[in-house]
Amino acid sequence: MNTNSNTYTVIYTTVVCVLVAAILAFVSQLLGPMQQANEKAETIRQILAAAQFAEKSEWDSKSNDEVLTFYKENVEKAYTIGQDGQENGTLDIANVEIYKTSDLKAENYNIKDESKASEIALPVYRFKNGISVIPIYGAGLWGAVWGYIAFEANLNTIAGAYFDHDSETPGLGGKIKDDPAFRAQFNGKNIDYAAESIFAIVKGGAPEGQCNAIDAITGATITSAGLNDAINTWLEAYKNMLNR
Amino acid sequence: MESISLIVKSIFVDNMVFSYFLGMCSYLAVSKNVKTANGLGVAVIFVLLVTLPINYLLYENVLKPGALAWVSESMASVDLSFLSFIVFIATIAAITQIVEMVVEKFAPALYSSLGIYLPLIAVNCAILGGSLFMQNKDFVNVGEAGAYAFGSGIGWWMAIVALAAIREKMAYANVPAPLKGLGITFITVGLMGMAFMAFMGISL
Amino acid sequence: MDAKLKETILNPIFKGNPITVLVLGICSALAVTVEMKGACVMALSVIAVTGLSSLVCSLIRKTIPNRVRIIIQLVVVALMVILVDQFLKAFAYSVAKQLSVYIGLIITNCIVMGRIEAYALMNKPIPSLLDGLANGAGYGIILIIVAFFRELLGSGTLFGYPVLSALGYVNNGLAILPPMALIILGCIIWAQRAIQKDLQEK
Repeated sequence: MNTNSNTYTVIYTTVVCVLVAAILAFVSQLLGPMQQANEKAETIRQILAAAQFAEKSEWDSKSNDEVLTFYKENVEKAYTIGQDGQENGTLDIANVEIYKTSDLKAENYNIKDESKASEIALPVYRFKNGISVIPIYGAGLWGAVWGYIAFEANLNTIAGAYFDHDSETPGLGGKIKDDPAFRAQFNGKNIDYAAESIFAIVKGGAPEGQCNAIDAITGATITSAGLNDAINTWLEAYKNMLNR
Repeated sequence: MESISLIVKSIFVDNMVFSYFLGMCSYLAVSKNVKTANGLGVAVIFVLLVTLPINYLLYENVLKPGALAWVSESMASVDLSFLSFIVFIATIAAITQIVEMVVEKFAPALYSSLGIYLPLIAVNCAILGGSLFMQNKDFVNVGEAGAYAFGSGIGWWMAIVALAAIREKMAYANVPAPLKGLGITFITVGLMGMAFMAFMGISL
Repeated sequence: MDAKLKETILNPIFKGNPITVLVLGICSALAVTVEMKGACVMALSVIAVTGLSSLVCSLIRKTIPNRVRIIIQLVVVALMVILVDQFLKAFAYSVAKQLSVYIGLIITNCIVMGRIEAYALMNKPIPSLLDGLANGAGYGIILIIVAFFRELLGSGTLFGYPVLSALGYVNNGLAILPPMALIILGCIIWAQRAIQKDLQEK
């Protein structure tokens, strides 16, 4: 058969594309529910790690059910706020209703687009020990970076933080997730709405004694800057709740 | 004015080769002399210039969350961005194939000297990298995406021609035999990379 | 035949190493060699992907129209990688999360495409599979050597455990930055060609 004729080429390419698309669609339909359950549990693990209930590695060793149960038992209230800082929706705790990464991404578009200010619904997870956790989302070097920042009951002191990313370089940008020392820098810091930036990740090292700044990661300038932008953009969106 | 600063920035500050180390394979392999290096550099500029605006339009009008709103109201909630990777690479592969056919027909000498590396432009990470970076850069229109593609391409072209020129001169240097060729080239690129780090952090 | 198969397997690991001799797959070699753990995960993923995609492309090699072969190859490679990722996401989520970082790097890794173009399209499935696996292994070895030096000199650790830093070593930040990966690669090539004299360029 002449494999170089135009008709053959066109038919062959079409068949391959349709076949591949069909395989991918089938597999994602088949595995979708399991993947979503995993993703939900992973999000909860990150929220719990940010709130300092235990290290992330400890949550990883627990099953999805254990993690969900712990969340249900310890969360006091999960709700969403609008741009004015007032509650505009509740998240069902019994069904573990949370914002997944894709929801954060959609919300990130709303925050950046001024015409959508009225549609904003940002999640807050308040735990029984007084800690409130809020998410952040933005772009790193290669893809999305996101994470969770936990505040003490005064809504100003940071209790802890956890970050994750799509595809930052392992060992450099990837340290926002993998390096506990980077995350530990957040603990006990404050946010300051009167300062030039609400919270700062400073390249080359934060000035001694500045309570709303931490050191950036050496060799990962763009990831650090991206995370800095993400944190400040989202803190600005939570302004009416946190700035009191 | 925006576009000009974008071009300058992507040539020097965000140089594809020296800041992100993208497109290294063909960069190292096809930099033995200035003439072929120039050929490949121009091919990369061209492929970037064509693929990046196409990918930009695809991303803005089809793939981005809510991008399908122009089809009908009910499509506004569709988010196809998980497909962006495979769509980008398919666009790039198709364009590369067209470039390959055109070069083969009109410049057979260039075609034979670029050899296996022309098909490999499809997997040249500089090209895919350009499209992926574009997603994060929030360009306002196709013109800006084009300017970014042009700057990145020029940056890559400049880097490969510079290296080829150094390698031509190095042929006369007294390099230890096992280090000759590829070995010393790696070290040269490392040193060039360090030099280009001086541009990092400049804001335009 | 046996000797030929042995050659197919051993050649890419040293004499015809994809990184140091064929100059393929450098970009990812620079990106993931900051630490040993990342380098090992990447090495294993690349071995799996080169092997599988060489096998599949070799199986369908006689039907591929020449003019669209690159697109078909890319689609096969991307399909393989995405399928593996999808299954891991459902059944081994923590592994999938580690791997997801590398997926983009694997699809655009020119070793995969290079071996399909140069070998799998002209050879039978079994030798193609072995060629793919062996090239992945040759690539992995270099990654691990480079990562060893970069993590040891840059962070004073190996696999995250303190080695030099326990002895009071001050970390050399240069080793973390990408130019150092190039320089270490240059030195590896130097060492290899000092042993394998026939690889030296005149």
